[in-house]
Amino acid sequence: MKHDPTQVSVSPAEALYPLDMGGADSADPIPADPSHRAYVTMLFNRHRVSLQRYLMRLVSPEDAAELVQESYYRLLRHGEMVRVDAMARSFLFQTATNLARDHHRRRASHRASLHVPLEDAEIAQDHLGPDEQLAGEQARALLERAIADLPQDTRTVFLLHRFRDLTYPQIAAVMSLSARTVARKMAEAIERLSAAMAEVP
Amino acid sequence: MSASAGDLQAADWFAQARSADSHPASDQAWLEWIEDDGHQRAYENCELAWELAAELRHTPTLAALLAAADSLTAAPRTASAARPTWRVPLRHIALAASVVAVGAVAWLFLNRPATLEYRTAVGEQHTVFLADGSSVLLNTDSLMRVEFSGHRRHIALLRGEALFNVSHDRSRPFEVRALQGVTTAVGTQFDVEITRGGAAVSVLEGTVTVGGDAIGTSAPAVAVAAGSGVGYSQEGGVSALRPAEVDRIQGWRTQRMVFNDIPLDTALAEYNRYTRTPIVLRDPTLGSRHINGVFHIGDEAAFLSALDQGLHLKATRGDAQTVLQPEAGYQP
Repeated sequence: MKHDPTQVSVSPAEALYPLDMGGADSADPIPADPSHRAYVTMLFNRHRVSLQRYLMRLVSPEDAAELVQESYYRLLRHGEMVRVDAMARSFLFQTATNLARDHHRRRASHRASLHVPLEDAEIAQDHLGPDEQLAGEQARALLERAIADLPQDTRTVFLLHRFRDLTYPQIAAVMSLSARTVARKMAEAIERLSAAMAEVP
Repeated sequence: MSASAGDLQAADWFAQARSADSHPASDQAWLEWIEDDGHQRAYENCELAWELAAELRHTPTLAALLAAADSLTAAPRTASAARPTWRVPLRHIALAASVVAVGAVAWLFLNRPATLEYRTAVGEQHTVFLADGSSVLLNTDSLMRVEFSGHRRHIALLRGEALFNVSHDRSRPFEVRALQGVTTAVGTQFDVEITRGGAAVSVLEGTVTVGGDAIGTSAPAVAVAAGSGVGYSQEGGVSALRPAEVDRIQGWRTQRMVFNDIPLDTALAEYNRYTRTPIVLRDPTLGSRHINGVFHIGDEAAFLSALDQGLHLKATRGDAQTVLQPEAGYQP
């Protein structure tokens, strides 16, 4: 059965995210499109537990709860989304990750303004200190090692897709592989890198 | 630690969701899969790896690995050689792709198709990325015009050969006109070559239809499935279905010529597509002798040496051409 956004908008689960709470920064109006609102709400109710657990690996539990809420409003305000569920979840997690990154930066620059003379504050912001990084040194080292350890073709597929924004067919063309092989190598890369992430608390 | 079935599935789903042609048909299956808490945890690890990778972008290790990946895509042959009217330097694919995409939006908006022209010189190959996600590998001495609009994707192959990797879009058929024939695909991989007096179509994936004036206006288009091919002449005659030229196409896309027991004159014609100094036979009757082998395109020394050792033909190099003749005193 395919989900029906209009049905979801009246589901009791929506009570978890009532709109009258107002966003963290509600300067931007939330679009009135009810089907968009219903879709975002449904997306949240489906993935909220998972998202919160994910964010708790990047920030403190209290901050994670706040960022989940903030992600919800961010998506509501975003106004347009691809309604393919797997892609929508990726977009949600990406949004939440960016918020976590901002959160770290804000905290670090706050700290910098407390301890660093005013004229050096900007320099301190440009330099990524340990507080500003999204995850601990251990997670970063594990991931870097896992990427370096990928078989060469697999790594090339991953890097071109992740950092050069090439689609699978484009990668297939430049590497003289079939698109199916590219997808398989991409899955292999994700599998190995996610195994490294499984060791991160 | 060893990967569980859930970890493998999570990676598969994650990779599939990022594929350009992932379609909502698989969405329901994914929704059911992701309901499981263990599956969610496995998927979170995929997401963490994906998102965290961004943080590593500028570390020395990643910068070096990225440079290595970039150099693989920018093969010297394609980087320096191709001369499309609108250049797409491989090092700036991402940027160029977004420029093209912006262009495509503009065309839709104006509802007026724009035309881009790409060409390669003799001995050159070039990959062209199109706005819809399709890609085209242009072979030596080829000329192609691309005309996309909101309701159709039209390409005119005016000279040479091209291998099309078509991204799926049912609402916009992908048409390739070569001479009087039109090959139409939805999402597939196929090769079109303009030969002397006609054109040849080989299908590597999916199905295409071949129609147009070449087939005659009254006759229906011919459906050609993966593994098959068809040829048509300039006068409008169409061949029976025949095997796709898989070896030859897989060869040229990796800069190789594959000669599998074919007449020497056919092999030389293929070789000469890639060079400005053709190899010719002093005595044309030698052309019926057969040849086997795999050669790198442009590696004249290896090719001539094989002809010397295998067929006892000696080469004399001139400015305009290289002439082959039998070794003195050798009788085949």
